[in-house]
Amino acid sequence: MLQMIFTPEFFFAIFRITAPILFATMAAVICEKAGVSNIGLEGTMMISALFGSLFAYYSGSWFIGLLVAIVTGILVSLFMGFFAFNLKTDIILTGTAVNMIGSGGTIFLVKVITGITQGTQLTSTTSLITQKLQIPSITIPFINQIPVIGNVLSGHSLLTYLAFISVFLTWVLLYRTPLGLNIRSVGENPHAASSVGVSVLRIKYITMVIAGILCGMGGAFMSMYYAMGWSLDMLAGRGFIALAAQAMGAGEPLGCMLSALIFGFAQALGIKLSATGVDSNLVSPIPYLVTIIGLVVFAIIARRRAKRAHHEKVSA
Amino acid sequence: MKNFLKAALVASMLAPLVGCGGNNANEPAANSSESDKKVYNVAYLVNGNLGDKSFFDSAAAGLQTLEKDGRITLKTIEMGGTDADKPRWLSTLYEVSETGEYDLIICGTYQMPDFLKEVATEYPDQKYAIFDDNTYAGDNNNVLNLTYKQNELGYIIGTFAASMTTDTSVDRINPDKVIGFVGGIDSPVINDFLYGYIAGAQNVDPDIKVDTRYTNDYVDTAIAKEYGLSMIGDNKADIIWGVAGNAGNGAAEAALEKGSAWFIGVDSDQESTFSADLAAITLTSGLKNVGNSLIWVFDEWDAGKEYWGQEVTLGLKDNGVGVVTDKNFDKYASQETKDKVNAAIQDVLDGKVEVPTALGNASKDLETLRESVRP
Repeated sequence: MLQMIFTPEFFFAIFRITAPILFATMAAVICEKAGVSNIGLEGTMMISALFGSLFAYYSGSWFIGLLVAIVTGILVSLFMGFFAFNLKTDIILTGTAVNMIGSGGTIFLVKVITGITQGTQLTSTTSLITQKLQIPSITIPFINQIPVIGNVLSGHSLLTYLAFISVFLTWVLLYRTPLGLNIRSVGENPHAASSVGVSVLRIKYITMVIAGILCGMGGAFMSMYYAMGWSLDMLAGRGFIALAAQAMGAGEPLGCMLSALIFGFAQALGIKLSATGVDSNLVSPIPYLVTIIGLVVFAIIARRRAKRAHHEKVSA
Repeated sequence: MKNFLKAALVASMLAPLVGCGGNNANEPAANSSESDKKVYNVAYLVNGNLGDKSFFDSAAAGLQTLEKDGRITLKTIEMGGTDADKPRWLSTLYEVSETGEYDLIICGTYQMPDFLKEVATEYPDQKYAIFDDNTYAGDNNNVLNLTYKQNELGYIIGTFAASMTTDTSVDRINPDKVIGFVGGIDSPVINDFLYGYIAGAQNVDPDIKVDTRYTNDYVDTAIAKEYGLSMIGDNKADIIWGVAGNAGNGAAEAALEKGSAWFIGVDSDQESTFSADLAAITLTSGLKNVGNSLIWVFDEWDAGKEYWGQEVTLGLKDNGVGVVTDKNFDKYASQETKDKVNAAIQDVLDGKVEVPTALGNASKDLETLRESVRP
């Protein structure tokens, strides 16, 4: 049984399942560092997914589709930022609104733009996307020659690689650039940051733009690689799981990536288990159970650490 | 004052409707003197838009046939399909019912029953028909619920899939006798498809294994794709039937990506709605013939049989369900497969085969069967 589960295909699936969550997780990491609770990731990705697939179809090029998805992500994030930072609405409510637009608004837009209607439940742009409009998979030379590892690491979508590269880039951005320092200082203490001449508003907007780029790629991954075309509510909670992964990883890029990978692992495991005859009703909650357990473990560790620090302070 | 305003508003809204209704009302009278059959005045309310190549179009086609034959006069109202349009569904139902001009008001899908129940209670003398829904079947004695025997549909598709998977001369078909089923939710209606599917497959060859997975929603195309990939990769399934709304398309994408499996669609002819790549690997689709079921209603009505306040479930016999037999089906299925499918249809029509149903108390039996045919 173990031999049947732990195949190269299984490990390949982990990366594929993790990638869209990872994009959103990194967006959440950067936003949270700047003190912005962006819960609109799900909606932002859904809107990006729609426009990415539509423009890939209209332009006949996956690359243009991907660019449009990214631009859409940026615009939606800026829209959120405008309401939250300039008009001082509650950021949680703004995020909720974006999520609702991501669900109800996208279906409205599809109808207006394409005239496709197949009942609310069945509306999709699947009829528009062909294989050549999908984001291509990349075979890595040399690595693909290695047995087993080649099958796991090579042949992923361009965006899957970008998702994992984005983890490294996020870390570099946050800890090795002046902008990252500003982002962290704005998140830690906006008053202190502005007292030394950092424009808090500007930093927050930059953060939203970066989150938008990441969400745009996440959306494009969903509608132009994972599935062929956008369909209603296709993100199915991945944007929220990213928030959980951000919390589980204590907001650090590497830890959050591991959390996202745990989720991907759990889901891939569930699918493999269902292939061996375990009821798919039993396996589908596995990723969510793992998330909850992970959060509990994380909370316990964090509390212990805080207690210990407190004791040390007292005894010192 | 408020009430007066309301009344004035309603009156002004209804004025044009009453106007055209009046004209229509004369026609049936004129026609009925020529023939003894009554010409029904019918309103078809679309909670979406025509052009969906699915239920709404199917219903419209059936009604247009009736209209062409001079059996009904038809008024079709497209109410729009977005959440923003929903309030209009209720108000349109009220307006159309208020006129009292229509012998029958038709609407459909799982989104309408709540609105219909409210209005049907308000206008007990107005007759209504709702297709593909049985939420409140029997609650109002002026509403006819039309549903479709998805188990019979499943039986035919199961027969076809089993015949195909045993025919290794066909491209993409491997020697393993495994077929797949990606269902939406482990619920009676979805399982009704499955029950027929397994029964049909087992009838062709008792060794056929059916790999059943549920996506647990109707929207997550990606997870359906993962299940499809796993069916093809782990269990060597070469035909997958997707019965999970939009998510079911993920199974088609898995078959396309793997290149070693076929997909079967559901409800409408998915081969004609998919993009070229996906259409090329879709062998057939199980159909719910909404249009035929509406023609059936008027056939019965003319014959003096009325079913108001009941749920009528139409199967193969009344053309309520069917399968797509042109395009890829015609191209890839061998004569032997076609014969088997036709024989299965004939068996159901003749009553030689009683297709088991998952509706009612049979869920335990299905569970046992589902587990016993796992690859």
